[in-house]
Amino acid sequence: MPKAMHYKANSVIYFKGDTPDRIFILKAGRVSLDSNDIETGQEIHDYIQTGEFFGVKSALGKYPREENAVVLSDTDVLIFSVAEFEQLVSQNTRIIMKMLKVFSNQLRRIHAKVSNLLSENEQANPEEGLFQNGQYFMKKKQYRQALYAFNKYLTYYPSGRFHEEANRLARTAEQYAQRFGQGKGPAPEGVGKTEVSKPQTGKSLSESARRYYEAVSMLGRQEYQNALEVFKEIVQSGEDQEYIVKSLFEIGRSLFYMKHYDAAIKHFTQFLQKYPKATELPDALYYIGQSYQENGNAERADSFYKKILSLPEIDEGLKRKVNKALRALEEA
Amino acid sequence: MELNSQAFERFAVNFEKGDLIFCEYEPGDSFYLIQQGRVQISKILGDIEKTIDILQPGEIFGEMAILEEAPRSANATALDPVRALEFNRENFEILLRGNPQIALKLLKLLTKRIYDQRRRFMILTLEDEQAKVADVFLMLNELQTEAEPQEDDEMTDERRFYTTPDDVAHWAGISPEKSREVLNHFASQRRVEIHDDHIVVKNINDFARFVRSRRKQ
Repeated sequence: MPKAMHYKANSVIYFKGDTPDRIFILKAGRVSLDSNDIETGQEIHDYIQTGEFFGVKSALGKYPREENAVVLSDTDVLIFSVAEFEQLVSQNTRIIMKMLKVFSNQLRRIHAKVSNLLSENEQANPEEGLFQNGQYFMKKKQYRQALYAFNKYLTYYPSGRFHEEANRLARTAEQYAQRFGQGKGPAPEGVGKTEVSKPQTGKSLSESARRYYEAVSMLGRQEYQNALEVFKEIVQSGEDQEYIVKSLFEIGRSLFYMKHYDAAIKHFTQFLQKYPKATELPDALYYIGQSYQENGNAERADSFYKKILSLPEIDEGLKRKVNKALRALEEA
Repeated sequence: MELNSQAFERFAVNFEKGDLIFCEYEPGDSFYLIQQGRVQISKILGDIEKTIDILQPGEIFGEMAILEEAPRSANATALDPVRALEFNRENFEILLRGNPQIALKLLKLLTKRIYDQRRRFMILTLEDEQAKVADVFLMLNELQTEAEPQEDDEMTDERRFYTTPDDVAHWAGISPEKSREVLNHFASQRRVEIHDDHIVVKNINDFARFVRSRRKQ
């Protein structure tokens, strides 16, 4: 049976570091949970509301109290053992659901803080990690598992850095599983040959990627016609989906710089119809706006610029450019 | 665990022995409640697969997915033919509302995770690497004490941990090379002994004092 208990002002119900076995409900009075912020060391006072549970987390998780529970004015509490608490909430899922929400919120916050601290040092790149796991299974002749990992890789990173390799290994895994069976067969060729632990710059770029970067530098040198030709060839080759999309975007830019504004508008519009989720979306809208502006269609330009500003996420640089263009429209 | 199971038939999924249920680094948006069979939770570290846990019917895994679609942090493999219920953020409330026992289990799991993450955060905020490594052992000591309250051992200050320099590196958020360097330094001071499958800390209280002195007040 839960036990009623009275505490005088300035007494302490439990101390930080205590091993907990009790959970409390505040019936009347004032209780503050005093702790220090784990990030800043700043003192935190959490005031318990009447009817609210406290001491739940450490009691359920069986770890030391993380705060002092200090009585501010004469207080009445109900004390539950963990078993009594469990029985009580089992009959009232609403309480658990509420606590789950509070706890998952706390977990999300602390999880984010941890990830934040880790990001510089050691967080593995998931794309690389997934591929490496596939390689591990392949080496161990666990073909089913390897196939799973490579298929997931190809699902999430269809034009990722290792997609060709993953494709090839997935096929090999399938063949070996059929021909030799799980755990048997010769060492699969080429596993582990791809050096993935070091960052790769340029080395493993596909032919399309290499040419794409060449053409981008042509744009920089204002060799628009030449760049346009190369981008078109990359698209026609149909080789590397990622660079096809990138090149399609650059074709639009080339047309814009060559002052073929109508063609640029048409091109970008088709591009956005085909790849509505492209990362280049805000930029494409910007170039459409610019093209209309150059053509003297201020109204259309204005509506495209405003559309960009209504997007949930755009980068600061583009935002500045758009705002500048809008001001120029107003002044004109 | 008794479930009002009829209602959950549509969430049931089956795995053959040896199937990967999910793979580390894969984006995840569902969690599982095991109904039949055992599930192995493991991580691949270099050329070895390290088992973190083996879960039994009634247990929950993949629960971090309720919070965010973060990549999976481990592999889950069916050790037997496994039958599980698969839930995502949208439908798990349905499950919990009718099954307080599962809700309670999840609640406990979350309290544990919050503690783990807070503890990990404390380690990561230490500035010097020696203190980080020492604090990893303090954390492991807390976990061990919790799992099997020690009797005789409490009297001595020596602790034995079934862990490796790579694991320590993971917890401390430092590179495996750095972890080995720090551990070798401790070994040269006779504060630890490094064995193939375990590490002995000669005086856990010495580590506790050391970490306390390095923690900013």
